[in-house]
Amino acid sequence: MIYNQKPFDVIVCGAGHAGVEASLAAARMGASTLLLTGNIDTIAQMSCNPAIGGQAKGQMVREIDALGGEMAINTDLTGIQFRLLNESKGPAVQSPRAQCDKKAYQFRLKHTLELQPNLQIFQATVTGLIFKDGKVVGCRTNLDIDFMGQTVVITTGTFLRGLMHVGQNKNEGGRLGDFSAKTLSGSLLEAGIELQRLKTGTPPRILGRSINFSELEEQKGDPEPTLFAFHDTRGPEDPFHVEQTGEQRIGWKPGSVQVSCWMTHTTLRSAEIVRDNLHKSAMYSGEISGVGPRYCPSIEDKFVRFADKPRHLLFLEPEGRNTNEYYINGLSTSLPFDIQLELVHSIPGLEQAQLLRPAYAVEYDFAPPTQMFPSLESRKVENLFLAGQINGTSGYEEAAAQGLVAGVNAALKARGGPPLIIKRHEAYIGVLIDDLVTKGTTEPYRMFTSRAEHRLLFNHGSAELRLLQHAKSHMLLNNSRLENIFAKEKRVGYWENRFETSTTVGGSWANAIRRDREAVILPPEFAAEAKEVREEVLYRVAYRGYLDRERRQIEKFKHVEKVRIPDALDYLAIPGLRRESALKLHQLRPQNLGQAGRISGVNPADISILMVLIAAQNAEKS
Amino acid sequence: MSYLGDTIAALATPAGTSAIAVVRASGLHAADLVRAVFGATPPPRLAQHADYRDRSGALVDDVLFTFFAGPNSFTGEDTVEISCHGNPFIAQKILEDLLARGCRPAEAGEFSKRAFLNGRMDLSQAEAVMDLIHARSERALAAANQQLRGALGRQVNQLIELLVNILATIEAYVDFPDEDLPPEDLDKVQRQLDELLAGANRLLATNRYGELLREGIKTVILGEPNAGKSSLLNRLVGRERALVSPEPGTTRDYLEERVVIGSHWLRLVDTAGLNPSAASLEKRGIDKTFEQAAEADLFLWVIDSTRPLPGLPETLAARMTPANTIAVFNKLDLPPAPKGDLPKAFPLVHVSALQGAGLEALQAAVTKLAESFHVEIGDELIAVNARHSLALDQAKAALLEAKQKLAAQEPSDLAASDLRAALDAFGQISGKIDNETILDRLFASFCIGK
Repeated sequence: MIYNQKPFDVIVCGAGHAGVEASLAAARMGASTLLLTGNIDTIAQMSCNPAIGGQAKGQMVREIDALGGEMAINTDLTGIQFRLLNESKGPAVQSPRAQCDKKAYQFRLKHTLELQPNLQIFQATVTGLIFKDGKVVGCRTNLDIDFMGQTVVITTGTFLRGLMHVGQNKNEGGRLGDFSAKTLSGSLLEAGIELQRLKTGTPPRILGRSINFSELEEQKGDPEPTLFAFHDTRGPEDPFHVEQTGEQRIGWKPGSVQVSCWMTHTTLRSAEIVRDNLHKSAMYSGEISGVGPRYCPSIEDKFVRFADKPRHLLFLEPEGRNTNEYYINGLSTSLPFDIQLELVHSIPGLEQAQLLRPAYAVEYDFAPPTQMFPSLESRKVENLFLAGQINGTSGYEEAAAQGLVAGVNAALKARGGPPLIIKRHEAYIGVLIDDLVTKGTTEPYRMFTSRAEHRLLFNHGSAELRLLQHAKSHMLLNNSRLENIFAKEKRVGYWENRFETSTTVGGSWANAIRRDREAVILPPEFAAEAKEVREEVLYRVAYRGYLDRERRQIEKFKHVEKVRIPDALDYLAIPGLRRESALKLHQLRPQNLGQAGRISGVNPADISILMVLIAAQNAEKS
Repeated sequence: MSYLGDTIAALATPAGTSAIAVVRASGLHAADLVRAVFGATPPPRLAQHADYRDRSGALVDDVLFTFFAGPNSFTGEDTVEISCHGNPFIAQKILEDLLARGCRPAEAGEFSKRAFLNGRMDLSQAEAVMDLIHARSERALAAANQQLRGALGRQVNQLIELLVNILATIEAYVDFPDEDLPPEDLDKVQRQLDELLAGANRLLATNRYGELLREGIKTVILGEPNAGKSSLLNRLVGRERALVSPEPGTTRDYLEERVVIGSHWLRLVDTAGLNPSAASLEKRGIDKTFEQAAEADLFLWVIDSTRPLPGLPETLAARMTPANTIAVFNKLDLPPAPKGDLPKAFPLVHVSALQGAGLEALQAAVTKLAESFHVEIGDELIAVNARHSLALDQAKAALLEAKQKLAAQEPSDLAASDLRAALDAFGQISGKIDNETILDRLFASFCIGK
């Protein structure tokens, strides 16, 4: 049957971290939105470790918050340990990270979705897409119910033809205990979308009371937790927090009662076990064809590639407050279960550990992301958007960021409006999407601060200010929050200017700050400002030389970013363009000259030639 | 669209072919530039006679300069043209000074591109401009590659290698603070930075094109043992310099001599014979031959006409082209052995080094190659050279900045920003080094990931 004659504005297929943000963003923009998920009980599940944030990812979560996304506030409200990483480095590369209560994280997001106006949730597995005239118009489900939509966002994570490996043992599924979406791939292929395979892995989970904690080193949270959300967006009817279970729902301070992680390490015996059984590992015996990430190697990889390193650090992370399950961060493997058991028992503190779930590797289909526009709309099928691991990324934060952008753009597409495009000099989200659509990826793509040319401008505290214009022009935040940010921007600007122009003993305030930030005694009115205003002002003043240099570089390349390349340009017929460049450009079809210039193998002369050609074509038209 | 964001500079005439060289700068700051160099902006389109002094105040040349106010100039922008004496040295000095004053080296065909974009050319000329950009960029690339094949390329690549290592280390600590890495050793980074700075300084001091002009065109004589290489050197130099004997393998090291052929300085290098079955001492000599060949501008491949045509080792064959190699068939006084075809269409001459026959033909062939060498890529070489000097200066400044930041115990992510600037500067010489290179090195050097 067909469920609806009047199509939804947006249908989101998949309720992981990308799908959740996509459906919330679309619904919040006023689009009638349907979220389809194979299992309502696994909404926003953390399939890997129970943590949000970390290097570059933490900044990205704050950017998501600045664009009206849910990940930041959800982390703050379900976090059970908070740490600011990199405190010894400059403010731009300091990143908040939190351990979350896995179940609480899911429950709160599910509840948020349930309360969201314009959003309908339904449990059904999407089995295929419905196309008409080269556009997507809806999707089919395993219940034989068809849903019609103006736009469709696919956020299937690792579920597309997901295949899990534990040694030689194979099971179909995108996650242990879950199903595999087997027919949707066919639908995408039929529409001309190319698919390839990637691989990722996850470590064993163990029972807390079988751990000998006296052997382990404790890792506590920060006494002063750094939170992710800039502003508490909860309504009075939604005071959910994991720490309030069964208690009075008042007076709670996020991060007030934190739990610890524990550190241990592999031993020489562990190395021996792995080496002796390498041939039984799914990854080393050739069972797996997908490519895995370099930054998240399996324990097999670590012992093989870094054979001289005597031991590898492991973190035991609690999966929640109301569970005794622990996650062994650092012990990802696809060895058979009996070897896993032996391996875990070779680790100090885990001699008697009981395994609750085995480690496994999972292979899945992804659609090489160069097949998308920067709006995350498919180039091949109009009105079809893709976000998350299906685009070759890895990580909850990377998925959520794409989900948000895809949801906003699907809603804009349905309504008829220009898409939200975040530039790579504005935010990590911009770097992420630009890298994906212009360069593609050959391994699960994870964000690093070093991927950003201008990371000094991307301190986590400035996310709201950096993205303010986008939030405003697409009305992603409510008015009172927008007003607050504008007011904050004003205060920051005022103090920046005042410090540069007014003087104290021995010169301007700014120079005094740059000389010695610790020693300078700042005006009392400044001390009265909000902490986030003070921190941003001091950062901008103290590092002004660096920040100015970054801005100058951005300015230098701005004009090429503005030159749009006509969609129909036939690169292969352009005289003077080198063949190698022409082929690459033909394949990747950049949207502007800035993107074209970032494609490897395309040189400045090629850009010059394009510039002349486009100017000539534009002049001819007008 | 604004194309006037910066001011570009380049040599506007081919070097080494005329009595006068013209250096041109165009863009927003051209008028400021004229004021800074010559003290005042003269009326447009009026040639002025003046001394050109560089930023340190040193006299470079007495020149004629003309200022064109936009839009009434070739590019449509404010433009200055400086005519100096045709000595490539002077042209390069002036160009380097303009770059040091904030100009950007013009890309291939950029003056024409600007003229077109600023509406100074007819729409129908778009294709011609595109062709010009293409042709000039290919030539510039050839010139740059020619330099990079030699010692410069090796040295720059070594410096880049070291810098990528430093950056990968610093980035590992920035991007993976929670990993089990060995303690961060910033003293070692300081030492490596010193090494890098010393390297950059060495490169700045030796200037490849300057060397070419000062020292002559490096011409390597090579061939099989006893083909008569040393005899040829002696014949060209006109005196007994190389030890000559009928024993093959007499020249175990290499010998160097300067000669003037036509109007060109040649630095002749005689090398050990290419003997595949050489003993160890002789082998060292042959290794030296390869080293010399890697830096050569021209090759004289001496072939014994009485013997079958020898093969060429692959590394040499890759470098030797009809544009830089002459096949010299020696011993025309003796009955020749039958021969197959040369591996490439090298120009060829027949000589008798012993008796001096055929030398004029050889000298003519050398002159022809040397000239085409200067005319074809001489001006590109100056551009490449000025660009390299600028890039090295920028790299040096950024490295010093990073060093100071680290010494003052500033966070290393700030120093990383300077090091990236330095890497970009080196990249202007050898081609862009992207993030992936650093990430590759990082993941190869450190066990990252949980």
